Amino acid sequence: MSSHDDIPLVKIRNLHFKRGSKMIFDGIDMDIPRQKVTAIMGPSGTGKTTLLKLIGGQLRPDQGTIEVDGENIHALGTRDLYKLRMRMGMLFQSGALLTDINVFENVADPLREHTDLSENMLRRLVLLKLEAVGLRGARDLMPSELSGGMARRVALARAIALDPMMIMYDEPFTGQDPISMGVLVKLIRSLNDAAHISSIMVSHDVRETLEIADMVFVISNGKVVDHGEPEALHSSAMKWTKQFIEGLPDGPVPFHYPAPELVEDLLD
Amino acid sequence: MKSITDFFANLGGNVLSAVQKLGRGHMLFFQMVMGMDEILRRPSLLIKQLFYVGVLSVILISLSGFFVGMVLGLQGYYTLSQFGAEATLGVMVAASLVRELGPVVTALLFAGRAGSALTAEVGLMKATEQLSGLEMMAVNPIRRVLTPRLFGGIISMPLLAAMFSMFGVLGGWFVGVGLLGVDDGTYWSQMQTKIDLHEDIYNGIIKSIVFGVVCTWIALFEGYDSTPTSEGLSRATTRTVVHSAFAILGLDFILTAIMFGE
Repeated sequence: MSSHDDIPLVKIRNLHFKRGSKMIFDGIDMDIPRQKVTAIMGPSGTGKTTLLKLIGGQLRPDQGTIEVDGENIHALGTRDLYKLRMRMGMLFQSGALLTDINVFENVADPLREHTDLSENMLRRLVLLKLEAVGLRGARDLMPSELSGGMARRVALARAIALDPMMIMYDEPFTGQDPISMGVLVKLIRSLNDAAHISSIMVSHDVRETLEIADMVFVISNGKVVDHGEPEALHSSAMKWTKQFIEGLPDGPVPFHYPAPELVEDLLD
Repeated sequence: MKSITDFFANLGGNVLSAVQKLGRGHMLFFQMVMGMDEILRRPSLLIKQLFYVGVLSVILISLSGFFVGMVLGLQGYYTLSQFGAEATLGVMVAASLVRELGPVVTALLFAGRAGSALTAEVGLMKATEQLSGLEMMAVNPIRRVLTPRLFGGIISMPLLAAMFSMFGVLGGWFVGVGLLGVDDGTYWSQMQTKIDLHEDIYNGIIKSIVFGVVCTWIALFEGYDSTPTSEGLSRATTRTVVHSAFAILGLDFILTAIMFGE
C-alpha cells in the first residue's frame, strides 16, 4: 500500500500533445482514483492509447503534467522512471508477448529481470500467476500457439508478475469472442477487487466497459467531454455522450466526412 | 526559380535526415555496448544468440568456403602451372583465403543470412509492441534484446570466417592435390612455411571482427529504426544487406591498405 493514499493515483493537469500538426490532446485534466476501475472512452483515433503511453512515460507531453502516485513521471530520471514502471503494469492490445520464448518464460521474464528469486520460488510464483488467469496448463505453449484471448491473459499474468499497484489496459475487449470477453471482464474486476490493483482501461466497447467501470471519462477532439459513474453517463444530457453510448450513426459526430453538397459534386 | 529552391530544400532535407540517422545509429551503438553487463548477468541470452546467429550459419559458411576453395585451386593451378609454379598452390589458396576471401565473403554471406534475419526480427518486435512491452515492464529493450544480438554477431563472425578459410583450404586441396595431381606434401609444407601468423592470420581475424561489429550493428539499427509497417520492414531488410555490403567492401579496402601497405 502506498504512502500517498489521499492523492489520486494519476493526476493529469492541462495536458497538451501534438502528433505532427495534429492536436491529440488540447488541455486535459483528469484525476484517476485508486483501487477503482476507471475507463477512458472515446471513438477510434482520439488518442486513448497515446494517453496510456503518456501516463507510462513512453511519450512526452508538449505541455502539462502527469503525476503517477505523486511523482511527475516526465521529470524522473531513467532509473526512477524504471523503478516506478515496476509498479505499473500495461496490457497491450496485441499482448506484446515475446514470441521466441514460451508462456512460462514470458511470465517469468520480469521476475528474472528484477528479482533474485531462486528457480524453485520463481516457478511457484509463475504458476500462481498463470493459475490466476486460468492458463497454468498452457505454460509450455509458444505465443504463436495461443488464441488472441489467451495471449491477452498470458500478458495479464506477466503484467501482474511484479504485483503492481495499477494496470493499464489498452482496448482489452477488441476482437474477442463473447466467451473470452466475459473471461477478461471477470479477470479485470477480480484483480481490481481481490488483489487491490487499480485499473485504467481505454476502450470503445461501451456495453462491457460500462458493466465493470466505476468511473468513466469520455474524450473527444482532444478534450474530456464528459465524466462520471456509468449510470450518470447513461442519463447524460450531453448529445455527444448519448450518440457515443447508444451508437447512433449520426449526431454531433456526423455520418458524412466534410464535403461540398452532393449535387454540386455530381454536376462538377 | 521555385524548382531550384525546391532542389536545395530537398537536398538539405536529405542531408539533415542522413546526419540525424547517423547520430541515432551511433547513439544506439553506444547504448548497446553500455548494456554489456546484461550479458554478464544473464549469459543465457548471449548463448541463445550465438546459436541463432552463429551456429545456424555454419553449414552455409562451410559449404561456400569449400566451393570458393575449389575454384581457387582450379584457377590457381591453371595460372601457376604456366610458370611451373604449381607447388605454391597451397600458399596461394591459403593466403587469398585468410587475408581476403575468408573475412569478406563470410561477412557478405553473414549480412545476407543473419543480418537480414536480425533486422526482420527486431523490426517485427517493434511492430508488434514487444519492445514497448519490455519498456513498460521496466526492462530496457536495448540491453535485453539488442546487446546480446550484437555480441552474438561479433563473436560469431571471426569463428565463421575461420571455418570458411579452413574449408576453403580443404577445397583447394581437394581440387589441386586430389584431381590435378599437385604433390600432397608440397601443398601443405609450402603453406606452413609461407603463411605468417601475424601478417596473414591475425590481420584476417581483425578484419572479420571489424566486419562482425559493422554488419550486426547495421542490421540491429535498421530493425530498431524501421517504420513498423510491412513496407517499412521490407525496406529496412533491403537496406541492411545493401549497406552491409558497401560497408564491408569499403572497409576491406581501408583495412588492407593499413595492414599490408608499405
